[in-house]
Amino acid sequence: MHNNNRNNRANANKKLKDEENKKQKQANNKSNKKAEKGNKKDKRKKGKSSSSSSDSSNSEDSLSEGELAKVLEEVEEKKKLVAILRTKAWRMKRKLVTLKESQAFIEKFEGALGKGKGRRFYAYKVMMTKKWIKFKRDFENFKTSCIPWEMKIKEIESHFGSSVASYFIFLRWLYGINLILFSLTFGLVVIPEVLMGLQYGSIPRKTVPRKEQPTAMDFSVLWEFGGYIKYSALFYGYYNNERMIGVFKYRLPLSYFMVGVGSFGYSLMVVIRTMTRNARESGVDGDDGDFNFSWKMFTSWDYLIGNPETADNKFASITTSFKESIVDEEENQKDENVHLRRFLIVLANFLIFCCLAGSGYLIFYVVKKSQKYSALETLTWYQKNEIDIVMALLGMFVPPLFETIATLENYHPRIALKWQLWRMFALFLGNLYTFLLALIDQVNAQLAEEESIKNKTLAMMNSYNSTNSTSERIPAIDPADFPRGPCWETGVGLEFTKLTVSDILVTYGSILVGDFLRALFVRFINYCWCWDLEYGFPSYTEFDISGNVLGLIFNQGMIWMGTFYSPGLIGINILRLLTSMYFQCWAVMCCNVPQSRVFKASGSNNFYMSLLLLILFLSLLPVVYTVMTFTPSFDCGPFSGKAKMFEVIMETIQYDFPAFIGELFGYASNPGLILPGILLMVLAIYYLNATSKTYEAANLELKKKMQMLRDEQKNRRNNKNTVNPMLQDLEDLLPNNANVSKLELVKDEKVIQERNKKGTNQVVVEKQPTVTNGVTKTNGKHGKEMALVPPPPRMVVTKPPNPRQASHLLGQPRSGTPGSGPRRPPPGQPRH
Amino acid sequence: MGSYSSQLSKIEDLHEIIQETGFSKAHIGRLYGRYEELDKSNRGKLTREDFQRIGELAVNPLGDRIINAFFPDEKQSLDFRSFVRILACFRPTVKEKFADPNAPEPINSRSNKLRFAFQLYDQDKDGKISREELIQVLRMMLEAQVTEDQLESITDRTIQEADMDGDGAISFEEFRKSLENINLEHKMSIRFLQ
Repeated sequence: MHNNNRNNRANANKKLKDEENKKQKQANNKSNKKAEKGNKKDKRKKGKSSSSSSDSSNSEDSLSEGELAKVLEEVEEKKKLVAILRTKAWRMKRKLVTLKESQAFIEKFEGALGKGKGRRFYAYKVMMTKKWIKFKRDFENFKTSCIPWEMKIKEIESHFGSSVASYFIFLRWLYGINLILFSLTFGLVVIPEVLMGLQYGSIPRKTVPRKEQPTAMDFSVLWEFGGYIKYSALFYGYYNNERMIGVFKYRLPLSYFMVGVGSFGYSLMVVIRTMTRNARESGVDGDDGDFNFSWKMFTSWDYLIGNPETADNKFASITTSFKESIVDEEENQKDENVHLRRFLIVLANFLIFCCLAGSGYLIFYVVKKSQKYSALETLTWYQKNEIDIVMALLGMFVPPLFETIATLENYHPRIALKWQLWRMFALFLGNLYTFLLALIDQVNAQLAEEESIKNKTLAMMNSYNSTNSTSERIPAIDPADFPRGPCWETGVGLEFTKLTVSDILVTYGSILVGDFLRALFVRFINYCWCWDLEYGFPSYTEFDISGNVLGLIFNQGMIWMGTFYSPGLIGINILRLLTSMYFQCWAVMCCNVPQSRVFKASGSNNFYMSLLLLILFLSLLPVVYTVMTFTPSFDCGPFSGKAKMFEVIMETIQYDFPAFIGELFGYASNPGLILPGILLMVLAIYYLNATSKTYEAANLELKKKMQMLRDEQKNRRNNKNTVNPMLQDLEDLLPNNANVSKLELVKDEKVIQERNKKGTNQVVVEKQPTVTNGVTKTNGKHGKEMALVPPPPRMVVTKPPNPRQASHLLGQPRSGTPGSGPRRPPPGQPRH
Repeated sequence: MGSYSSQLSKIEDLHEIIQETGFSKAHIGRLYGRYEELDKSNRGKLTREDFQRIGELAVNPLGDRIINAFFPDEKQSLDFRSFVRILACFRPTVKEKFADPNAPEPINSRSNKLRFAFQLYDQDKDGKISREELIQVLRMMLEAQVTEDQLESITDRTIQEADMDGDGAISFEEFRKSLENINLEHKMSIRFLQ
């Protein structure tokens, strides 16, 4: 009651205020505010809140008069509620909840109504939250605009579909990783060496040998990374084996080793983490395929687009996405001769296996032959480069062959892409490993050579020392003249660098010639040619996703393998990825056409990632192998003089750590500890694998159930019109009487008899007994309504039971008004 | 600040608008500024031409329909109050802790937002998006290179997905159902009105 009064008063106040406000609006601003002030003061005795208005512009801004009044009202109410809550006859839980809510509310809004300081504080708070929201929004926008090349990629996506865009997203991701590897390598190894290490020319390993000096600055030599570049901090051999350098006692060899290990560790971690994240994401939104088309239809347009060009892009992208969905749908609904299809798949795989085996044998044959050549002194250009030529030819012709064979299989393009990638992966792997084998042969030869040179130098030193024992200084031989070994590590780094550079050149060259020139030719010669070049034979190229992705992945493998022996390689790779981003973006937009069968890339790039992971592992192997087995060169590199490279760790443990840590390591490296450790890990993997399988199965089961439920629902609604609704409702309501009700509909006479038997049956009572079948049906609707919706009481009271015939007539037009039915007497009983 | 109050003083029935739409004064001030900006002829009314000058609507395939949504019942002009009322549909929904369950449905509720979208597609206002209406929309949204067959198959597929009662058209209920998992509160909100 009291509340009511208050509300009334408040309403009256509001009205008053509104009127006054209106009047004041006509007056000027100042008087307006003043009047409001007075107005409010007499309205609210407490004189709280806005009566002290206009003290801060923001508070005025945030709370209008009406709102303020409302808030005040509510706060008062809540306060009262808190006071009398104890006496309410509620359940404890409800009391607690109400209390909590009310207190939160009061706390939140009392400030708004407090005097002077409280109000200002509240206004300040409101202002700050607003600013904060705005800031967050701006920051979000800023973050999006900071994602490099986002617009470029979006543009490509709109024209070429998500599959082509996924390549560029992958490229961008790789660039990010390489940036971090680059900063690791340069920040911890190259720059410290340049700043704090010995100068160029101070010791033999940092000097170009006398023999090479005349040509050391020639472009042709520098191009091959010889001359001054070979003897620079970009390669392994330049580093000195001094344990600490500079004033900070920087442990360069240790840092070199740790950066090498850390690069691999970091890459592994990132790849695996990205894979798990992708898997999780695809798991989350993978099951919403039910309304695919509806969503595209209703929500694809971006209403913020105001620029006609962007709008064109958006049109293109919507079209593309619809086409993607159509292809998916077609693939889903495909059903053809299963046996023929299986046969074709087997045939295709057999052919491809033959191709792979053939190319493998070819490479093997060429390598064997080249080993024979190495015995010869004079080699022709062809003999020298035979392996490279064969590999390049294989790489050029086999992938299209695979693609042609793959058309036999007639897979969905997404799956076909995967197969194509795997097959090319196998081919490339053959190339890589022949290269590695050749390299290891070379290293072995150099190791042997080095041994002899080492002996020679030592003998020379000894003889020199013995003859000039009087002089305390070391022999004044110029570092350039000092005899030195071949330094196999630099050789390996050099090989990788050369390979990377030639790979870059080949890639860019093929884009220029294969895409750009071809596009130019097709575009301009088309005017004077006898058939349509654009749609006929040469046409424009499609963007080759599989080839490009694999190229990128193998390039990354090279970088991972080579960086340990050539820290500068990662810098080259950074440049390569950067330029290739711009160059390929340009090339795609300028000279490629969208694929004839646009298809959607699978939601995540996990497939690329798994290839990358495999390559990472494969490139880890040779590096670890060389580090663990080969002796480092005696006169170059940070590990010279040690029997094995990893001894740098032991050295550090021995000198820089307290003694007990060394002991600890000694125990930890005991096979008795390592073997159980490995066993434990295997067990853990097995266990986790098993649990994840179980979860997966459960997940699948649930999904299936949901799908089934949905289908059932759909079916039921679809069938509603065909099946008699009464029947269904009856079944739903009283499953144990289902048989009876069915019979009821089918055979009238029997039904009545049965009804009489079960006189008290509720359903029967509700069902108006009928004379003919037709009437039953019209009444069926009526009955249904009654069964579902209990009649409102007033109907029952006011309406007398109708005679049967009339009730039909009434019931037909307004079947929605229930009420008359239930009161009707059951059949067989006398009617009044 | 000063500009707001001067603008606000120009608005008639300000409080009714606030009550009806739930906007704050500041928002109304802003909207009024925008309203005046759109009103090139300074007659205090907006016409279809005023809307067609907006770049975002000009390039939008559904632009005409959106404009039509602002001019119900073949009216030729729009006053500020109706303008705000229609825009109130796009006020961001805030989760209110002390929401009153008995209160009438706010103008910016999810279902009102949906209704606005629905009427863009339902041109003949029969409460259903028919097959022809869908094809029309598609034709506007896609490039010319899509064939008629493809258009039809897309339409059929869409209807098949969303249609629950098998009448070959999408009713509002079905429309709502199909967009159930989409964050509409976020998509159909004007952010500066937060």
